[in-house]
Amino acid sequence: MSSEQDHLKETDTEDRFDFKKEEKSAFQTEKGLNEETIRAISEDKDEPEWMYERRLRALKQFQEMPMPTDWPGQPDLSEVDIDEIVPYIRPDVDVRAGVDDWTELPDEIKDTFDKLGIPEAEKNALSGVGAQYESEVVYQNMQERWEEKGVIFCNMDEAVREHEDIVREHFMTTCVPPSDNKFAALHGAVWSGGSFVYVPEDVTVEMPVQAYFRMNSEGMGQFEHTLIVAEEGSEVHYIEGCSAPKYSAFNLHSGGVEVFVGEDAHVQYSTVQNWSKNTYNLNTKRALVEKNGRMEWISGSMGSKATMLYPSSILKGRGASDNHITIAFAGEGQNIDTGAKVYHNAPNTKSTIESKSISKDGGRTNYRGLVHIADGAENSSTAVECDALMFDNESTSDTMPYMEINESKVDVAHEATVGKIGDEDVFYLQSRGLDDDDAKQMIVSGFIEPITEELPIEYAVELNRLVELEMEGSLG
Amino acid sequence: MSTQLPASISEETVTEISAERDEPDWLRQTRLDALSALEELEMPSVIETPGRRWTNLEGLDYESIVDPLDQRDETERVSAEGAEVLDFETALDEHGDLVEEHFGSVTDPETNYLTALSTALFTTGTVIYVPEGVDAEDVKIRAEMNSTSLFSHTLVVTEDNASATILERISNGDTAVDGDRYFSNIVEVASGENSYVQYGTLQNLDEDVYNFTLKRGDADTYSTISWIEGNIGSRLTRSDIETELNGDSSETKIVGAFFGHDHQHLDINARVWHNGEHTTADLVTRGVLDDEARSVYEGVQDVGRDAWDTSSYQRENTLMLSDESEADASPKLIIHNHDTEASHSATVGQVDAEDLFYMTSRSIPENTARNMLVEGFFVPVLEEVEVDELREDIDDLIVARLD
Repeated sequence: MSSEQDHLKETDTEDRFDFKKEEKSAFQTEKGLNEETIRAISEDKDEPEWMYERRLRALKQFQEMPMPTDWPGQPDLSEVDIDEIVPYIRPDVDVRAGVDDWTELPDEIKDTFDKLGIPEAEKNALSGVGAQYESEVVYQNMQERWEEKGVIFCNMDEAVREHEDIVREHFMTTCVPPSDNKFAALHGAVWSGGSFVYVPEDVTVEMPVQAYFRMNSEGMGQFEHTLIVAEEGSEVHYIEGCSAPKYSAFNLHSGGVEVFVGEDAHVQYSTVQNWSKNTYNLNTKRALVEKNGRMEWISGSMGSKATMLYPSSILKGRGASDNHITIAFAGEGQNIDTGAKVYHNAPNTKSTIESKSISKDGGRTNYRGLVHIADGAENSSTAVECDALMFDNESTSDTMPYMEINESKVDVAHEATVGKIGDEDVFYLQSRGLDDDDAKQMIVSGFIEPITEELPIEYAVELNRLVELEMEGSLG
Repeated sequence: MSTQLPASISEETVTEISAERDEPDWLRQTRLDALSALEELEMPSVIETPGRRWTNLEGLDYESIVDPLDQRDETERVSAEGAEVLDFETALDEHGDLVEEHFGSVTDPETNYLTALSTALFTTGTVIYVPEGVDAEDVKIRAEMNSTSLFSHTLVVTEDNASATILERISNGDTAVDGDRYFSNIVEVASGENSYVQYGTLQNLDEDVYNFTLKRGDADTYSTISWIEGNIGSRLTRSDIETELNGDSSETKIVGAFFGHDHQHLDINARVWHNGEHTTADLVTRGVLDDEARSVYEGVQDVGRDAWDTSSYQRENTLMLSDESEADASPKLIIHNHDTEASHSATVGQVDAEDLFYMTSRSIPENTARNMLVEGFFVPVLEEVEVDELREDIDDLIVARLD
């Protein structure tokens, strides 16, 4: 392992998103993936037998399923070599004993999080942070008043042991079964870490629940699993942030997110991801929404070599609704293939999808979405809007929406626009004393505002900052 | 290739068709090449989403619906002054070099399995040649199909500064032929500089005919190619209307109208490639579905890397009259140049309840009101049709279907 330390100034923002640490691993599986690997992971985690069996089933499904290769315009996955991935690395900290004090963390992990700004988040009196360093949640902090209300927020490994019944019922069963796609199966076999959030009936969690994930080990994949169960009438906003250092070696991130939105419940899931430019980011995220429940997906996809991510909502109950707000940014050598899927399986269901993308320096963005309205889902309505900004003719921007409508009493609309930054807009700003770069940055910030305004302030700042970094010096 | 070649088709069949028509060697060879390519070629690509392929072209029993040596049609052709509107055999005699130069130049016979099959077996069709500076208004082709299967190939060549307005009607003749049938229609338009071509088709085949059509135009500098495609008949239609905007400042318009009822399946595709600079495309399609009809729509706007200053617009609207009907829509944008203004939109909905209420409250019977609203739904598309006759014909067929 290389151990070069970047001696960049703390204040340098590039440094915040692009540095790596020498790592210490307590346990590391052999390269490659087989039954022994799975057993080793499961034993090391002290898992119940049923979880081990689920992992094995998922592994079999993974081995049987083909790679997705025939989608029009999809990212090239031929370099994804599963055998090269060490699926599980645990930092040298005893998670099972529980660490709930910042000072107990090893220095280098603390250092990593300092640069991510987590202590700042703490200072801002945010409700709780579960931070994942390599494949474990190593730091958890939860406020007492939640516990009083019966809200559970812990790492997924702990949840398997401590909240076995809830997890057993919801973990990769009805929401994202491993058979869903090849990478969901892989995830089911080797998942590790992630967050578990449980909100009891009629409880509102006023503050966003947050978790940071991070990859910091060459040739290692991350397979964290997030499970959110919001019971009837409850409300919660979960935020996940990612930022990974740059590596020359190959990296795969294949996370899974499952959200259960109970009757009249409201869940918002927000994420800003910034994987390093050599990561394949292949995720499966899905929500099951019961009667009058509401699900909101807010996501910013930055970084990575290739991303394939289509957060989906299945509107099961009458009156369920879904909102998607996504932004994708693709720079040089990046292929960001994202979108949304919504299944309207009940009457009076509603969905809106708002997707924005920016492509530049040969980057490639693609919106790929599916809206399905089942027979009998009458009075359903859906509105999809995609806007793309492009900076040059090396870049590509595609929009591929699919609409399957099996019900006549519906209202379906899809719209997309593509354009470049208006010369007139730039001229207007320049005539008021801004230089060309600033003018363009301002226009881009305005373009992504529908996303940033949905995020808590420090995330909005981070997203804006990320976009600025991507744009810096490359305009003109 | 999953599709078995029908036993009735062999080199002998193709040679026989060619010899009967006394064709030149190059055309016989083109047919034979297309025939031998069949083994390699795929069916036209169909929209696929997870777990679903929306049109099953592989599933057709080509064995029973293709009878290559028994192709009978009744085709009327009306020419315009200064232009040549000829059946294929006459055109080969009188303008052999022109046909040889342009045949297959816009639509590659080996585009897919069905185009190759069509090229190998076609026995009817029209060559329309408009010399420089000639305005050919009101060219008409009325084709009636009288056999189990019919393969047609139409070639339009306009020279510089020429224009042509072509109206094609396709239906079945009175000759009774029972059972499933197959009609294949390939149309290619090679336009000269600054020329204008409007090609309108009204397809009203019997509802046991499987219909495949590929129409493609190559637009030269400053030229405009407009397509109008009305699909009313057939059991299943797979229609591909395509324009390559190769010349700078070229334009295209693709206007589509379809009305499906009973068990009709309509797979409608519009594609535009912006390759030159300052090109403009406008795609407008409207369709109505009743009973258990099903429509699949794909519209692709592809903007090439060097297509500076592109404008490209697409709208598709589907109206569903019945709960048993199904509609799929996929408007796609593929953009490689940022100097582009592009948009697309698609909607699916039903007759507006408020509109209906307004009309019934003014004592119009509900059924009449509904029919008026459906007819009205097509108006924005019909307005794009410049040929009065075609517009009225499409409107008549829509009204007839509503009654």
